[in-house]
Amino acid sequence: MYGVTLVCFASSYAVALGLELWRQFRSRPILYYLAVGFGAAGLLAQSIYLAVRPVGWMILLAWVLAIFYLYGSIHYRKMSWGVFVLPLVLGLIGLSAKMGPDADPLPPAADRFWGFLHVGLLLLAAVGVCVGFLAGVMYLIQAHRLRAKTPPRWGLRLLSLERLEQMNRRAVDLAFPLLTAGLVVGLFVLIQNQASPTNPRIVGAAVLWLAFLVLLVLRYAWRVRGRAFALLTIAAFVLLLVCLVLEHHPLGGGA
Amino acid sequence: MILLAVGCSHRNTPVAVRERLAFREDQLAAALDAVSTRLDCEAVILSTCNRVELYLARVLDRATRATTPLDADAVCGFLADFHGLPAADLRPHLYVHQNDAAVRHLFRVAASLDSLIVGEGQIAGQVKKAYEIGHRYSGPGPLLHALFPHARRVAKRVRTETGIAGGHASVSSAAVDYVRQVFDHFGDKTILVIGAGKMGELTLKHLRRLEPKRIFVANRSPEKAQAVARGCGGEAVPWERLDEMLARADIVLSTTGAPEPIVTQERYRRIAAQRIGGPIVILDIAVPRDFDPAIHDGDRTCLFNIDDLKRVQEAVLAVRRKHVGPAEALVEQETQRFLKEWRRRRHGPVIERLTQDLEAKREEVVRKLFEKINGRLNEEDRKYIEYAFVKLQNQFLHGPISTLTEDQQADAPGHTLLDALRKLFRLRE
Repeated sequence: MYGVTLVCFASSYAVALGLELWRQFRSRPILYYLAVGFGAAGLLAQSIYLAVRPVGWMILLAWVLAIFYLYGSIHYRKMSWGVFVLPLVLGLIGLSAKMGPDADPLPPAADRFWGFLHVGLLLLAAVGVCVGFLAGVMYLIQAHRLRAKTPPRWGLRLLSLERLEQMNRRAVDLAFPLLTAGLVVGLFVLIQNQASPTNPRIVGAAVLWLAFLVLLVLRYAWRVRGRAFALLTIAAFVLLLVCLVLEHHPLGGGA
Repeated sequence: MILLAVGCSHRNTPVAVRERLAFREDQLAAALDAVSTRLDCEAVILSTCNRVELYLARVLDRATRATTPLDADAVCGFLADFHGLPAADLRPHLYVHQNDAAVRHLFRVAASLDSLIVGEGQIAGQVKKAYEIGHRYSGPGPLLHALFPHARRVAKRVRTETGIAGGHASVSSAAVDYVRQVFDHFGDKTILVIGAGKMGELTLKHLRRLEPKRIFVANRSPEKAQAVARGCGGEAVPWERLDEMLARADIVLSTTGAPEPIVTQERYRRIAAQRIGGPIVILDIAVPRDFDPAIHDGDRTCLFNIDDLKRVQEAVLAVRRKHVGPAEALVEQETQRFLKEWRRRRHGPVIERLTQDLEAKREEVVRKLFEKINGRLNEEDRKYIEYAFVKLQNQFLHGPISTLTEDQQADAPGHTLLDALRKLFRLRE
């Protein structure tokens, strides 16, 4: 049972993605059920994997997004949900594998509570950024289809512009306070551990927080919306990826 | 049987003729009564905006007794008399399908293969209604009773087993589909109707089903604005407030008869600057167009004109046309199935009598044989002889029954196989 490897669940997700892509051309219920089945199998395998060993940020984030995939697939059954979420899940797993052995993001046992709180808050904020990114990508594609006046029932089935914009906005609205709280707790842990404030991960997180602040100011004070806001959210996600990569970089370290 | 489908449709007859031949719902009872009495037949009348068709049938027994011919000229005469038109003017517009062809035609009509918009779903309901009205007033006999329910099943099979009904194939539904790609919920949305063009009525009807929060109507003529607003449960606004309303609206339906665009790119830029809400969808179905197409960006402003909507309609129809072949094959399969079932049902009593007659004769012969050779046979021998006689009877009947079932003219009036069989085997009615 504990012999679950990264390849096991990555393969399940890859098969689910293949089935989701196939479903775009041949709309058959069996493909949907198979895709959800493989997605669920992958999630189960990944849960076992996470339960028995120390894990890194990316693999943890991929796990939350896999749950997000299953939720979306059941909730928006007719939509091309998996086509967008599963590549991100696979990408994070792939990046995690490439970055080497998973580092335990948790701080030493003495700071366990604050460490958990810090990691938990940042993880939820990262989920928000990822959801915002997915909504942004879907928004851009939907807007492109509308701009080209593609017949409504052709190709990818996407949510309406209004729904995608709302999802994007809520994800960012939720991510910012979580990120802020996570950073404040991180600062507390940092002071306790007397870590260097020039640590690349700390700098990266601070830059990400600033980027989000700018995003919110643009959204609410400057009323930036639609395509422009979707692009900014995608940029924020890229910044998050940089931060996550820094986590695994030799220069990076635990908070 | 004699089954006739006589009528005209959008395919061969201009609307000016069709509307003169159409039967209003309040005329149907009288028409059905008149035609079934005059031509001594079962009758169903299918009268829609695209076709007027009479389905008339006589089964064998009535056909042999009837003196009135049941043919295209007789039906044309009825139509001419009923509508007060010269028969000679009508006859060139009428098509006639007889027996197998009539069955096939009805199945094609019900399956929407003969419709103006292939795959549209309304016709199946109209065929069902025509049968129900016929049933109520003229009492269709056994043939139409069997035919019309079968037509409904064929229509359902074609719709579910082929992609003929896929997508929305009207301009109005294409417009609503586009609106749904932009908006998720409509309880907080404002619709602005500009103009009072006939073209917009159906689209507005579709949009109202989305249950928007409010509808405003702007028109150069305040009276017309009031009339449209009353019709759609909206509120008329002065034409001078058009820019203000455009800045507030979420969905705009424009159908004016203006010769020039009423909203240029420059004017729209000023309006867009005032907008505080989300995106706007403009359905410009006026010809010439009311909005400058350059304002469309697919993000904050989505503009769809009549050409865009017709393009969607064409795309849907092109996909549907790919399914016509399989649908036709299905109709043919069902036509053959219906005819086979019908013949079996019609010939059933004759075949039953023939079988009973031969069975009685066989039992008599076997009984006499056993009496004569009584005591010389054991039980096994008796069973074998009985079996041999049954087999002989079955082999003897197989040829005539198969030929009868396969013969398409077996129950046509006059000298037929059915008559021959009755006479040859001296079968009584």
